[in-house]
Amino acid sequence: MTDNNLSERLKKIIIEELNLEDIETAEINDDDPLFGDEGLGLDSLDAVELVVLVQKHFGAEIKDMEEGKVALASISSLVDFIKNHQAE
Amino acid sequence: MTENSKQRSETWSSRSVGANWQHRFFYFLIKLGGRHIAYPFLYPVVLYYLIFRPDQRLKSRYYLDRRFPGRTGFAALKDSYRMILSLSQSLVDRALVGICGPGILKTEFPKGEELFNLAAAGKGLIILTTHVGCWQAAMIYLSKLKRPVHMLMQHDEGDIDRHYFEHSGEENPFHIIDPAGFLGGTVEMVAALKQGDVVCIMGDRLKGAQENSLAVDFLGSPVKFPLAAWKLAAVTGAPLAILFPLKTGPDRYRIELNEVIEVKRQDARPLERLKPYLLRYIQSLEKLCAKEPYQFFNFYDMWSAEVKTSDEPIKTT
Repeated sequence: MTDNNLSERLKKIIIEELNLEDIETAEINDDDPLFGDEGLGLDSLDAVELVVLVQKHFGAEIKDMEEGKVALASISSLVDFIKNHQAE
Repeated sequence: MTENSKQRSETWSSRSVGANWQHRFFYFLIKLGGRHIAYPFLYPVVLYYLIFRPDQRLKSRYYLDRRFPGRTGFAALKDSYRMILSLSQSLVDRALVGICGPGILKTEFPKGEELFNLAAAGKGLIILTTHVGCWQAAMIYLSKLKRPVHMLMQHDEGDIDRHYFEHSGEENPFHIIDPAGFLGGTVEMVAALKQGDVVCIMGDRLKGAQENSLAVDFLGSPVKFPLAAWKLAAVTGAPLAILFPLKTGPDRYRIELNEVIEVKRQDARPLERLKPYLLRYIQSLEKLCAKEPYQFFNFYDMWSAEVKTSDEPIKTT
């Protein structure tokens, strides 16, 4: 799966499973922050679901806070994390 | 105007009201003669706070005015005294456990086996605790769980009151997760639960994102309660055990496993769907406050925070 395909799939899963309303995949920039007031604006409870979703759909397990900090920064960092994990 | 309405409290803080030397004095007394020496010194200290520190006394009224509505004058003063004394004894007991070891308290845990089995099942376990009694009394049992235990716990800057394990200088037997850390520690908690560990979370104080809460009636008025524990239970499938460690005598505690709740996965979102589960906890809490009115230790205005009524939409995204 190419980076673009993975990114698209990830965005779709996030929109559907986190019930994000009035937003399309095209509106999510790969480098925008996932959490906080800027970017996608997810919060800490969304993070609970996101960590489980990444494991469920991509088999990539975020095992601790340090991994989480890097992986959950943006769509592109999450794509990198998934790719690296799947490559292991 | 009640004392309560005059007071302007905002949020809670774990910061102790006592000075460093006062804490050290009590630690010295405990080392000298344990509870028997330390407890008698609490009475004048509590009286001091009751009479000369009205700011501290008033902090007890937020809760007490709702638990005992209409009580004024000497009766109200007596309630405040009992509540502050109860907290003080709990703090001494906490230090006692740290200095003398958890065996110093005679703690019974009638449903302990049930909790051990839940932890041993390896599905992850959330222990929902509350600011009641003295949770350090449960240490001897938590350390027997056959899984690693993580605690969501924060020390405010400048807090001089020590956690029990800091007295002995030993390594903390439990892993601390800082709620002020990355995403409120949620990533760490999910990771711990997914590997079958035990995570302890306080369920009665909201700190951090206000939208990650639900307002439900507690003692007659709405209070915002945090939802992290319930969300974690729904998403990870870990059972949630409500635990109350109650003081039943000068050196005696009883750990009450109040209820074990399984939160359905489909109730993870929207947050409003977690409300029936939260209400079960609140009902348990109200029963506890009815039974042990002076062991509920929240000295801030839980009711004053801007609350959404249950009919208002809750932010989920």
